[in-house]
Amino acid sequence: MVLLQPDPFLNELTSMFEHSTEKGTVWVTLKRSSLKSKVQRNKMAAAGEPLEYRCLIRATNGKKTISTSVGPKDHQRFQASYATILKAHMTSLKKRERKDKKKVPGADKKEGGSKKPKRA
Amino acid sequence: MVYITSWDEFVERSAQLFRADPDSTRYVMKYRHCDGKLVLKVTDDKECLKFKTDQAQDAKKMEKLNNIFFTLMSRGPDADVSEVTGKEQTEAQPGKKGRGRKQ
Repeated sequence: MVLLQPDPFLNELTSMFEHSTEKGTVWVTLKRSSLKSKVQRNKMAAAGEPLEYRCLIRATNGKKTISTSVGPKDHQRFQASYATILKAHMTSLKKRERKDKKKVPGADKKEGGSKKPKRA
Repeated sequence: MVYITSWDEFVERSAQLFRADPDSTRYVMKYRHCDGKLVLKVTDDKECLKFKTDQAQDAKKMEKLNNIFFTLMSRGPDADVSEVTGKEQTEAQPGKKGRGRKQ
């Protein structure tokens, strides 16, 4: 498991996506963690220190795993870059071009043109 | 595996799951380019919610969900989760959205 800084992690993630276009999967896991062992956490809680939580991000292509941890200060920048990478690579998903309205064109016309014939 | 069909329900329940147990809840995304499929999973190791899709529009929705999770996880479960469109927090900034400017 390779722990990287956020920026190298993003570069590696990009290359993972690029290498798995023909075959293979990319998994990305997000989890909250304080990155401290249970013993340390209990000690800190007892001492009254506030625990610093970070967001742990792991990515794997089944063979290689990379990870990084992002704190509250850098999370917005990271999330913007991450979103860009995903948008750039998730190109094989289908685009919905059919509009549902086209399926029932008759119904709309009928509803619009329903004038009451009986007017007293 | 519990596959949820409605996106909004998936988001709603995932956020609830996370707030209930922030330390053990994790969000997993699996993407297969060759099959053109995306699967999302949120679990706290007791309950599991999944969502699968092959639609590009869901990828955009997933990005917003990513933002939510990033915010919740790095800032804490009580963080102010104001999405880009402001779905969860409708109190803040009502003037920006809407037809016509009444200011």
